[in-house]
Amino acid sequence: MIVVLLLTSTLLITLDMRDSGFVGGIRDTFGAIFRPVERFTNVVTTPISNAWRGVVDYAELREENLALKDLIVKQEGSAIAAAATVREAQELLALNGLPTLAGIDSVTAQVVGQSPSNFSQTFELNRGKSSGIRVGMTVTNGAGLVGKITDATLERSVVMLATDPEYAIAVKVGVCPTKPAPSTTVAPSTTAPELEVGTATTTGSELDPGLIGGPVESADPDATTTTQTTVPPTTTTTTTVPPTTTTLPLATTTTIKGFTPFSTTLPPRPGGATQITVPETGGLLPRETGAMEGRGIGRTPIIRFIQSSSRLGELCQGVPVVTAGGSQSLAPADLVVGTVSRVVNRKGSAGPLLEVDLAANLESLNFVRVLLYQPATEIPR
Amino acid sequence: MKRLFAVIESPVTRVFLVGLFALSLQTTIFNTLRPFGVVLQVMLLFAVCSGVAGGSENGALAGFAFGFMYDLILTTPLGLSGVVFGFAGYMAGWANVFVHEPKWWFKITTVMVSTATAVVLFPAACLVVGIDGLLDSRVVTLAVTCTVFNGILALPVTRLMKWALVKPVRQAVWAE
Repeated sequence: MIVVLLLTSTLLITLDMRDSGFVGGIRDTFGAIFRPVERFTNVVTTPISNAWRGVVDYAELREENLALKDLIVKQEGSAIAAAATVREAQELLALNGLPTLAGIDSVTAQVVGQSPSNFSQTFELNRGKSSGIRVGMTVTNGAGLVGKITDATLERSVVMLATDPEYAIAVKVGVCPTKPAPSTTVAPSTTAPELEVGTATTTGSELDPGLIGGPVESADPDATTTTQTTVPPTTTTTTTVPPTTTTLPLATTTTIKGFTPFSTTLPPRPGGATQITVPETGGLLPRETGAMEGRGIGRTPIIRFIQSSSRLGELCQGVPVVTAGGSQSLAPADLVVGTVSRVVNRKGSAGPLLEVDLAANLESLNFVRVLLYQPATEIPR
Repeated sequence: MKRLFAVIESPVTRVFLVGLFALSLQTTIFNTLRPFGVVLQVMLLFAVCSGVAGGSENGALAGFAFGFMYDLILTTPLGLSGVVFGFAGYMAGWANVFVHEPKWWFKITTVMVSTATAVVLFPAACLVVGIDGLLDSRVVTLAVTCTVFNGILALPVTRLMKWALVKPVRQAVWAE
């Protein structure tokens, strides 16, 4: 009997690991039987769960709520700057006929449950195949990459988190910004400084607020000004942007599956002058690509296959990590993943390992966005 | 009609129904109650208690069934929890062979030892099928927490599994 059980297990594991339709059928059938039982038990046990949460999590929730309120205030300004940058990037991509995230349809779904296991890092969503969700699609939230869909039934789907040991994705790592010497240059002149059209400027507050921090549309050669240029590591800019709604032009062609040439209506620009902090642009430049792999619960993902070469630029903490994209990648390009939290140098030609702080907080997911983009590698044969 | 009742009252049906009940508890209330961040292993508790209640062979069969049901809702390979829980059930039943009439404390100890073994064995089994990164120091916390929890609930669940596994007398009458 024991031998029969062992053989059955071996057979089932083999079938499952080869993505057998038979195993998928069993899971679907069992799911159909089990869901009503689970729903009933959930209704009965919810008061007990709530009481437990009330006892255990109350103080933590209060502190978290206060911290989040502070965070929202800080991020409002940054969001405005980010929206302006995204708008510019999308306009440039559209002009060149390149695909962007804005061109990929998405579905918003709510997290309705997490894995009842100590070893797998998965979440269950309340949307499934009926909403167009398929296995392999990328899941994000407002902050960045969350994971990918590993299982989808008609009304439910399962997300594997980016920290799961089975998750791996190609990413781009930003270059470490060079640290300029803190200096102040005062350049009194009788003619205007040479400004290129489209260059962002950093100026003092005496200048026309309509121009401050935005793209320069024209430079008046007859003007007589004294310009003070300060180059600090981070630049504080005052921005005034009129409330408008922009419709981007249609992109030309693309070969990426799941991507539709887009006609995107961006949200209106927020009005009024706001004090914002723009990150260093040097940190946004890609250094090179590597493979990010999850390492399990409580451990940050790591990036392998990065070269340690000063020619490519220095590796350091805090540089952004975004998805690399490409026809074989799990996710479209330029999706925010997080920042490098630690660089571990290794001997020999192995290259350094980079630990990544994910931008998305995987501990408290509620609503997520599923990009309806199925990578070529995840399409069933 | 008698045959229908016989099927309904058979140990297989009872184990399946108890399994559904345990699984619904596992995915709802015990998915929320996470002491020290650990998901308490209700399905494993039922598997090892099957061994204590019904002996090694029944324990292996029922443990495999509970593990299989657990696998059906997880993303781990189907059959992996089945084989580990089956082993735990067998182990719990086998330990009782050495004692003529096991006392309550012996049953609890058996459940606790089998639970700890299964919790450590599962990530090792994952490693065998190519799922890396689960066998680390965190397993100790998982094993200790699950062991204590399963020890507390060992006696009532063993009683429930005895009801599920022992063939009712009435069924034997109908079968004649």
